[in-house]
Amino acid sequence: MHRRAYAAMVAGSGAVALIVSGCGGSTPTTASTGAAPATTSATAPAPAAAATSAAPVRDANVDLVIWSDADRAPALTKFATAFGQENGIKVAVQIAPDTRQQFKDATKVGQGPDVLVGAHDWLGELVQNATVAPINLAPDVVAKLQPNAVAATKFNGQTYGVPYAIENIALMRNTALAPTAPTSMDQLITEGTKIKAASGGKVTNVLIQQVGKTGNAYYTYPYFTAYGGGIFGTKANGDYDPTKLLVDSAASLKGAAELAKLGKAKILTTNIGDDNAEALFDAGKAPFFITGPWAQTNAKKAGIKYAVSNLPTLPGGGQMQPFLGVQMFYVSAKAKNAALAQEFVTNYVTRDDVQTALFKATGRPPALKSAYDAAAAADPMVKAFFEAGKAAKPMPNIPAMNSVWGPLGQASADIVSGQDPATRLKAASAEIAANIAKG
Amino acid sequence: MSTRTPTAPRPAPVGPRDGRRGRPGSVTRPPLWATVVKWVALALVVLLGAYLVQRTISAGYAFGVVLVAFVVLAVLAVYSTRRAVAMKYLLPGLLLLLALQIWPIVYTVATAFTNYGDGHSISKQEATDSIVASSVQEVAGTPRYRMSVAVQQGADPVTGGLSLLLTGPDGATFVGTPKGLADLPADGVTKTSTGKITAAPGFTVLNARQVNARSKDLSALGVPTAGGGGIKPVGLSEAFVGKTTVVYDAAADTLTDTVTGTVYVPKNAFWTPRTGDGAAYATGWKENVGLKNFSTLLTNDTIRSGFLKIFVWNVVFAVVSVGSTFLLGMLLALLFDDVRLRGRRFYRSIIILPYAIPGFVTALLWRSMYNQDFGLVNSLTHLDVDWLGNPWAAKAAILVTNLWLGFPYMFLVCTGALQSIPGDVREAAKIDGASPARTLRSIIMPLLLVAVGPLLIASFAFNFNNFGLIFLLTKGGPFESTDTSIGSSDLLITYAFRLAFSGVNPNYGLASTVSIFIFVIVAIMSYSGFRRTKNLEEVN
Repeated sequence: MHRRAYAAMVAGSGAVALIVSGCGGSTPTTASTGAAPATTSATAPAPAAAATSAAPVRDANVDLVIWSDADRAPALTKFATAFGQENGIKVAVQIAPDTRQQFKDATKVGQGPDVLVGAHDWLGELVQNATVAPINLAPDVVAKLQPNAVAATKFNGQTYGVPYAIENIALMRNTALAPTAPTSMDQLITEGTKIKAASGGKVTNVLIQQVGKTGNAYYTYPYFTAYGGGIFGTKANGDYDPTKLLVDSAASLKGAAELAKLGKAKILTTNIGDDNAEALFDAGKAPFFITGPWAQTNAKKAGIKYAVSNLPTLPGGGQMQPFLGVQMFYVSAKAKNAALAQEFVTNYVTRDDVQTALFKATGRPPALKSAYDAAAAADPMVKAFFEAGKAAKPMPNIPAMNSVWGPLGQASADIVSGQDPATRLKAASAEIAANIAKG
Repeated sequence: MSTRTPTAPRPAPVGPRDGRRGRPGSVTRPPLWATVVKWVALALVVLLGAYLVQRTISAGYAFGVVLVAFVVLAVLAVYSTRRAVAMKYLLPGLLLLLALQIWPIVYTVATAFTNYGDGHSISKQEATDSIVASSVQEVAGTPRYRMSVAVQQGADPVTGGLSLLLTGPDGATFVGTPKGLADLPADGVTKTSTGKITAAPGFTVLNARQVNARSKDLSALGVPTAGGGGIKPVGLSEAFVGKTTVVYDAAADTLTDTVTGTVYVPKNAFWTPRTGDGAAYATGWKENVGLKNFSTLLTNDTIRSGFLKIFVWNVVFAVVSVGSTFLLGMLLALLFDDVRLRGRRFYRSIIILPYAIPGFVTALLWRSMYNQDFGLVNSLTHLDVDWLGNPWAAKAAILVTNLWLGFPYMFLVCTGALQSIPGDVREAAKIDGASPARTLRSIIMPLLLVAVGPLLIASFAFNFNNFGLIFLLTKGGPFESTDTSIGSSDLLITYAFRLAFSGVNPNYGLASTVSIFIFVIVAIMSYSGFRRTKNLEEVN
């Protein structure tokens, strides 16, 4: 009796177990097919998410393949098609959601595009893996582009891209709350605190700036530059020199002390990160927001009346200078259609109408002087963002920069949350140096 | 199983006994359509194989060709004949096993012995070629030419020797070939408004597509000029005078920068200045490093101490996750197993809800709920805990979230197992005078554990590698100040991921080594776990 009952139980629960578990074991049974998700007791990777972020499959039937992210693709498609008609060829613009990684992976196996649209700070990494080819722009074309945008396309003295847009962070303010633009951080804090006190709890923060638990060196870098600090020194030819670290220089330490002060005063907090910064500003919870041109889309959608001005000056220091980011076109080193790709980026992307269309699609100031002038005349915010980054240096595009983001970001988050700025920056500097040496 | 009913005597086979031996006429032939389908399918396999071979040849993988040929031949040999009946069933599984299990393991192990990663992703030859090719600089003070690509009249545009028809800034026209630059008489030459030559006597000017088809030849073409430079084409309509500034010396295996005179030697898979000062070229190559990755993991102080710390937390995380979800799930299952409870179905469906919402969404939701200033957790409890910024709070937050995510699964499993425990066992216990608690302890629990034991082990193995939860909730953080590559809530798998993909120096080799360690650890733990459940079964 007992044995039989036991056997029945084992058989029964075994079947249940098999069905529920989706048969994690090795015996293939028909019961297993119906209940696949149950092998994972908690979070299973969602296949839908994977499908939407997959790399595009290179279109084999066209003469030129361009990869870009989803924002730029529609504007690009129009002009790529026009380029195709002018030259009697077929051009395809394909969307690669994670362009940087997917380009590297696809190029490795010979399935990459001919032309890539991306940020200039990818350059070092792309050269490291020999995935992009040099581009020879005619001197008269170079003269038509913004000089700092051209500087960003160079690596080790060689040009690797054609710039089409520049971007940098600036001070955005909610004009309904703060009608005038503060020029110094002290002024910003005084005004912001007044606005916060007068709002009756509606305004919760004086200043929104992404910090997050892991920090963000992109947003804390301007605090260092205000006192003349930075990340890397430069070589004789103007390239960044990874052996000259400025992270724990006296000037950078002054900036860190300012970060600590702002953290202590709860102006900056690690509880504001990439997940909630825009939402807070767009809900009218703060008068000031340090951000880039990309935040305009959602602010407009939320009906926020805003204006853009230069980053403030810091007490005892100068103007905060943000990183300059440059968006550009690369030609793949493994391009199957190298001649067309070169032609497209050197003679077509540098045209006024193409740069203007890309500006309309992305909202970032164009790199071509003539296109910028037209855009700035039509939209004061474009001019304001551009002015805020006018004296800015391009973000370093050397591979060593990858060693900086993590440690420096974390150090700034820790400083904001109360750790000693000097010790923290010195530790970060040591870690960065060690990482660069390892690389 | 001993209680299986004895099998009935086998019924006498229908049809001739020697049918399988194939006496003509007596074989029960399959219907015609089945034969047709079979051969069409086999033909498709061969076609697919031919296509794949084409692809692997164009990608240059000799081994791939052999592999595809072997698989196709195996399929043909197994399915086109009447032999190897068992193999007909086994082959698909066997092939999938090889492709999806064995090959990744082999590949991972092979990668663990290399320095493969960013900056070390190509061969030495490719890296060197790339550095030399990238060193071409425009010679200062030289003119830019308008350019058309042409072949000699009568030559084939696809194979004929290429000539560059050039127009200087002053309007003078030239013909450039690998031999050198020659004047092109202006007679009969037609140009566009920008100066690009569209026709010239004795030449066939190529159109855009034809030029593009010759991209490889064009990039290798340089019209030699005085001073060691060459006229090189840019795109379809322009040419410049460029000069290679880096030279590779194959005999000495060195690179020389002709501008600065620096000599570079291969060192640590990079071209490094021989003197030791100055930067190496950024482009390095992939090479075999033997056991270096293993020794790094075992001897590097930061990594080793970090690894041990991560490992301890990893085990705690997996054990507590499985334990807590199982306990809660089982208690709820026992509760709702009671027939006296009304509306059991309704409650059961409510409890399963967290399981029905994708974990990715839930984890991100919890992340925002843990925000110190704006999160729901602190505002409901009136606490001011920095959930994601304090190492201990972050660990607690992870365990609570995983409890929320995981208990419905355990509830489901236990409910199923409880329902399969026959009523007569409980009844017998009741008749023997056992209290409900005693019944639970001595009858229900052992039976339940036997049923769900293997699932607990599977759940343990899953949670041991629960990448998604950690990555979405804390990203491994908060991070210690001395080394930001090791977070205090990192699991081995998130640590390996950071090493391989998002880290400071993406290093697939080292990450492969970590994943081998993870594999071994999980294998040992699962093995001992299964041994234990086996003991449990024997006890009963």
